Amino acid sequence: MPPPSASRPGLYVHVPFCAQVCPYCDFSVLRGGAAARRRYVEHLLAEVPLAAADWSDPDPFDTVYFGGGTPSILPAAELARVLETCRRHLPLVDEPWTCLEANPEDVTPESCAEWRGLGVRMLSLGVQSFDDAALRFLERAHDSARARAAVETALAAGFATVSVDLIYGLPDQDEAAWRRQLEALVALAPDHVSCYQLTIHPRTRFGVAAARGKLRELPDERQAALFELTHRFLADAGWPSYEVSNFARGPEQRSRHNRKYWDHTPYLGLGPSAHSLAVATPTSARRFWNELRTPHWERRLAAGERPLEGEERLGPRELATEALMLGLRTAEGVDLDAFTQRYGFDLEASNAPLLVELQASGQLVLRDRRLVPTLSGLAVADGLAAAFTIPS
Amino acid sequence: MDHIRNFCIIAHIDHGKSTLADRLIQRCGAVDPREFRDQILDSMDLERERGITIKANTVSMPYTARDGRTYELNLIDTPGHVDFSHEVRRSLMSCEGALLIVDASQGVEAQTVANLYLAMELGLQVVPVINKIDLPSADVDRVMEEIDRDLGLDPFASIQVSAKLGTGIDDLLEAIVTQLPPPKGVPEEPLRALLFDAQYDPYRGALLLVRLFDGKLRAGTRVRFMHSGQEHKVEEVGWQRLKHIPVPELSAGEVGYVLAGIKSLSGLAIGDTLTEAERPAAEPVPGYREAKPVVFSSIYPMATDEYEDLTKALEKLKLNDAALIYEKDSSAALGFGFRCGFLGLLHLDVLQERLEREYDLSLILSAPSVRYRIVLADGSEVWVDNPTFYPDPGSIQESYEPYIKATIMTPERYLGTVMELCRERRGVETTFNYLAAGRMEVISQLPLAEVLFDFYDRLKSITQGYGSFDYELLDYRLADLVKVDILVNGEKVDALSQLVHREFARPRALRYCERLASTIPRQQFKIAIQGAIGGQIIARTTINAFRKDVTAKCYGGDISRKRKLLEKQKEGKKRMKMVGAVEIPQAAFVAVLKTEAPADEE
Ligand SMILES: Nc1nc2c(ncn2[C@@H]2O[C@H](COP(=O)(O)OP(=O)(O)OP(=O)(O)O)[C@@H](O)[C@H]2O)c(=O)[nH]1
Ligand SMILES: C[S@@+](CC[C@H](N)C(=O)[O-])C[C@H]1O[C@@H](n2cnc3c(N)ncnc32)[C@H](O)[C@@H]1O
Ligand code: SF4
Ligand SMILES: [Mg+2]
Repeated sequence: MPPPSASRPGLYVHVPFCAQVCPYCDFSVLRGGAAARRRYVEHLLAEVPLAAADWSDPDPFDTVYFGGGTPSILPAAELARVLETCRRHLPLVDEPWTCLEANPEDVTPESCAEWRGLGVRMLSLGVQSFDDAALRFLERAHDSARARAAVETALAAGFATVSVDLIYGLPDQDEAAWRRQLEALVALAPDHVSCYQLTIHPRTRFGVAAARGKLRELPDERQAALFELTHRFLADAGWPSYEVSNFARGPEQRSRHNRKYWDHTPYLGLGPSAHSLAVATPTSARRFWNELRTPHWERRLAAGERPLEGEERLGPRELATEALMLGLRTAEGVDLDAFTQRYGFDLEASNAPLLVELQASGQLVLRDRRLVPTLSGLAVADGLAAAFTIPS
Repeated sequence: MDHIRNFCIIAHIDHGKSTLADRLIQRCGAVDPREFRDQILDSMDLERERGITIKANTVSMPYTARDGRTYELNLIDTPGHVDFSHEVRRSLMSCEGALLIVDASQGVEAQTVANLYLAMELGLQVVPVINKIDLPSADVDRVMEEIDRDLGLDPFASIQVSAKLGTGIDDLLEAIVTQLPPPKGVPEEPLRALLFDAQYDPYRGALLLVRLFDGKLRAGTRVRFMHSGQEHKVEEVGWQRLKHIPVPELSAGEVGYVLAGIKSLSGLAIGDTLTEAERPAAEPVPGYREAKPVVFSSIYPMATDEYEDLTKALEKLKLNDAALIYEKDSSAALGFGFRCGFLGLLHLDVLQERLEREYDLSLILSAPSVRYRIVLADGSEVWVDNPTFYPDPGSIQESYEPYIKATIMTPERYLGTVMELCRERRGVETTFNYLAAGRMEVISQLPLAEVLFDFYDRLKSITQGYGSFDYELLDYRLADLVKVDILVNGEKVDALSQLVHREFARPRALRYCERLASTIPRQQFKIAIQGAIGGQIIARTTINAFRKDVTAKCYGGDISRKRKLLEKQKEGKKRMKMVGAVEIPQAAFVAVLKTEAPADEE
């Protein structure tokens, strides 16, 4: 694990608006017309100096991530104002690696050109599926033709990285049906792919349906089969995974921003629900987060306050737990010596019988002093992390 | 003293002892009508829920008889279940008379006979009482015949009552004062008071229930326990009405309570005799027989840090449950605990519930076992009730197990199935007799170990609830014994080992394996669960590993949420027991070790 100062901090901006709210989504999102969006932008601009006053890391931010929600819903000019304000109050490198999440219906040659003009290097497309029935089930606004067109348009627009998000593991989806999606995906040849297995969150419409027995999550065995299919198929097609749900053509195409979340690089989040991490020393950090809901976030800002909802101090133990939990989700795994060095916990010594068991059962391999999950290990990464003991 | 009557109500389970006690208490006005509730003497929650008496309970009440005199009646309501016969014996010791209740529709049953013998052995005067005469199925003539033939008592001396409706209660009260003798004893003699029950009060210390045989007892008296030698100054004496009523003095023949500020419970034993330190009696009251436990089980706290609490709880419960016997024990899988001896499975079950409810403990109990006699190759002999101490099979010459003489009473139509059940359980010399009208008595010699394992349940179900059962220990006989171990991924789980007859080893092992397989959650790797005798595997099951256990997304920077979930999961694991790399939740031990529901009633 590289020491934190090796990487520069990342900036995240949460745009909570969506044309409609999907039945599976538990992000901080809302519908909201043009007036609400303008109001949001004004508040966001007000948040920047408040956040900056409290951000003491002198290192300049080298990534900017517009996430959501649907950032592509905002006019490019508004995004530009946000970027400008950030640059005025925060240290920012000249050409930060900028990513924007876009929904297919917003992607046109014109919008792409505007985003390119803002400095967007990675465009992440919320395609979800190339199958019309699946898109209807997910209640998405676009159809499969629109999805394909959006990917092609984005690829033609000259972004460094075009990424496609897909959701799999829908109830009733079998391997053949999902394989067809993967085939459609590789035929379009994006640079980066995120394939998320459908998670049914309790406080969503799908969650309610599931509680009433009207929607059934796929059984463990079938989820596992789809997971393995995804990873094997994409690896064979030239998109090896670098994380549980993320695949890239090559190291250059990986998300430079997201990896900061995984290795305790500092990040600052603006907008409702955004989280931040300020790192003081390798073994002490502070994570703080904004009000989850947009109206609360706005009310706090209107009162001239920093819109924080909570914060947490992270000591060696918390940081080590996170590093292990996140490291085991990645293809790089956990560097044992770096782990001991940074957090002061010797994972190997305190988990000897477990390590033997996990290697024997083919879930982990020990390669170059790294604990690397195998494919079947990756499929149970949460359980792996829970099985380890971090000594007190 | 001839105005005192000390008597017990004894019977087979459910024949209406506690209900009859209610009527007597009400008729004597010993309880405020507003405070009355059914089976008022069954004060424990557990008793009320199960509708059975577990502990004998004492109440004193005044009664003005037809002769115009006022008597002091000391009544003890006793439990009917065979597992609590120690309670009955203990109660009978402090009485001169007993009411033997017989249900007018069920007739004489196994515990009716057993309790009668107990009363006669102790020289008590017994009055038969036919209860539930209000029932449409009541058959008083038949029951009178049974009282004559099966009990050898004078059926015409019996009193017919309905405890439910209150019919016949006046006649019964008269019979108590006319047919039961008053206590003997000399108030002027040195004090001899039998400690027959106690409970612990956190403020006042031990509350002792005593029966005075000779002498007097009042506050300020310095008493000595004749067995333990301990001395205490009496702070208060009184009557055990439904409430405690202090009186200046208790005198020979009376039953009452004593408070002496006793906070430390060690050395305090039911059955001990209190005498005056200044003027000690020559001989203690002949004590009870020590309870002879026949069933053994180890009790562990779920949370290892509750061991201290368990220790204290057992000490206090022991005061209230004289039949309980325990000593320290420990297990690699479950930590420190106690090896306890019980009079039967219901006794075990009740102790567990009382510990859990009254002392707020969560417990794991190992599989109940009998005590085996093992003769080693060198001719020496060891007694083993705990599989942990089972000697190396190579060094064993012979093993012996306890046999009982089981007496089963059943309607004639179930005779065949009852005989079959006895055969299944390795019963020998099974015989039967005809009792009165359509009822049979089956007598069989059975290994006690086979009765521990869901015998009551089976008997009840095959006789549709009509079968009743009593037993006495016979002797020890040669046994083909093996120790079955349970292995989880090759590691022995000591708390799950058991000693069983070779013939039953495989099915028993399989049952354990299957229960474990259904209660241990899937883990990171495949888990093999095996039953083995020595090195030989006789049963196996497996738990497949998780195949998918990872959230798709990490929600941007919100890592805290995910970490907290993980921490919570790990916290939960702390309460699991590790066997090698496998985590076994407490619930799995509980499920595996859960005894078959013991008979609450037969
Ligand atoms: N019909 C009728 N039912 C009765 C009578 N006496 C008791 N019962 C019922 O018989 C059941 C058992 O009564 P208990 O008084 O609890 O019996 P017990 O002998 O104290 O039982 P244990 O203490 O468990 O041995 C209850 O449901 C009573 O209501 C009676 O005279 N007539
Ligand atoms: C932060 S979301 C926003 C992107 C964009 N608004 C969209 O939905 O198209 C990023 C991705 O998370 C995935 N996602 C959201 N909710 C999900 C869920 N409940 N289960 C699995 N994936 C989910 C979708 O693939 C989505 O594209
Ligand atoms: S479009 Fe994306 S962010 Fe918006 S509701 Fe749907 S899943 Fe959530
Ligand atoms: Mg009772």
